[in-house]
Amino acid sequence: MILSAMDRLPRLIASIIIVLATSAGSVRIARGVRKPFSSNAPDYRMLGPQNAKVTIIEFSDFECPACRVAEAPMRALLKLYDGKVRLVFKHFPLERMHRWARAGAIAAECAGRQGKFWEYHHELYDHQDEWASAKSEQRLPAYAARLGLNTLAWNACRQDPAVNAAVNSDAKDALNAWVGSTPTFFINGKRFVGALQLSERGTPWVEKELKK
Amino acid sequence: MSSKIPPSIGFAARVLVGTVLVYAGAVKAAGPSEEFAIVIGSYDVLPHDMVLTAATFLPWVELLLGWSLIFGLRLRAAAAAAAALFAAFLCALLSVQLKGIQLPNCGCFGDAMHFTPRQAFFVDSGLAALCWLSWKSAPARLSLDTWCD
Repeated sequence: MILSAMDRLPRLIASIIIVLATSAGSVRIARGVRKPFSSNAPDYRMLGPQNAKVTIIEFSDFECPACRVAEAPMRALLKLYDGKVRLVFKHFPLERMHRWARAGAIAAECAGRQGKFWEYHHELYDHQDEWASAKSEQRLPAYAARLGLNTLAWNACRQDPAVNAAVNSDAKDALNAWVGSTPTFFINGKRFVGALQLSERGTPWVEKELKK
Repeated sequence: MSSKIPPSIGFAARVLVGTVLVYAGAVKAAGPSEEFAIVIGSYDVLPHDMVLTAATFLPWVELLLGWSLIFGLRLRAAAAAAAALFAAFLCALLSVQLKGIQLPNCGCFGDAMHFTPRQAFFVDSGLAALCWLSWKSAPARLSLDTWCD
């Protein structure tokens, strides 16, 4: 039986609705239940005033070359909006690709406990090629010594399970925030992935948020 | 034309291509488009300002084509569009090889499944061939097209 054009139209519309609804439904299923992520971090991993109008949460991996590349635009952005922007650093070591990333995160965390997180952070990014290798165990203590850290306490801290747990907690937050690659920045909740998105779209977004 | 393709083969081909497209589209559409934009950007085939738009819409195109193939809605058009999509993917993969860009992962399935560009090239070629079988199988009996007509 061949239907007339007028009879076909409702069926065609119903068919299109079926395809649209199943498409939307499959995305809903793939998305699953979104868990909230915490933006909390110890004070030593924060820069800028607490009441800043703009908060940037950075999920980063010290061994990731793209994170090192994003360092320059991030430092430029912080300099440009000095005193108006707050940066929160969260660890997300991608151990599947970066063998030494967790060691770097733990080393920086222990430097943070002696008040030198950002100095150690800069050492790790500025000398990434040097320590992200089999020489990791030689280089990481050398940076600690260079920054004048108490190396005994710093070494003891690196064995502390609580430090490892703090890194794990950040990594869990990254997964809850659906962070798949590093660096990922949330600027007042809006996501920017990588140095290019940060410099091309992130800076105008900060400008816009500051004008609110 | 369709008599050359047994209906069961045509049905299997369109369900297989459709399922792959639905899976690829759903995992990418569910995730943040900024992540997928990084992958598209690394191919260096689109202008910078189009990358995020493409990352937002491409997964939905895959999804709609996938379900259209599975349900058999405008089967010939869906099969032709899916084949054109795979041809575009193959061109992008070829351009990456020619430019010497090192991609660790084709990004075809977001973060859910990792294929190297070479593996993706073979998969996309196979899927394009299945699109041809789907196109040849139209009009299919078990399809929304048949119900509509």
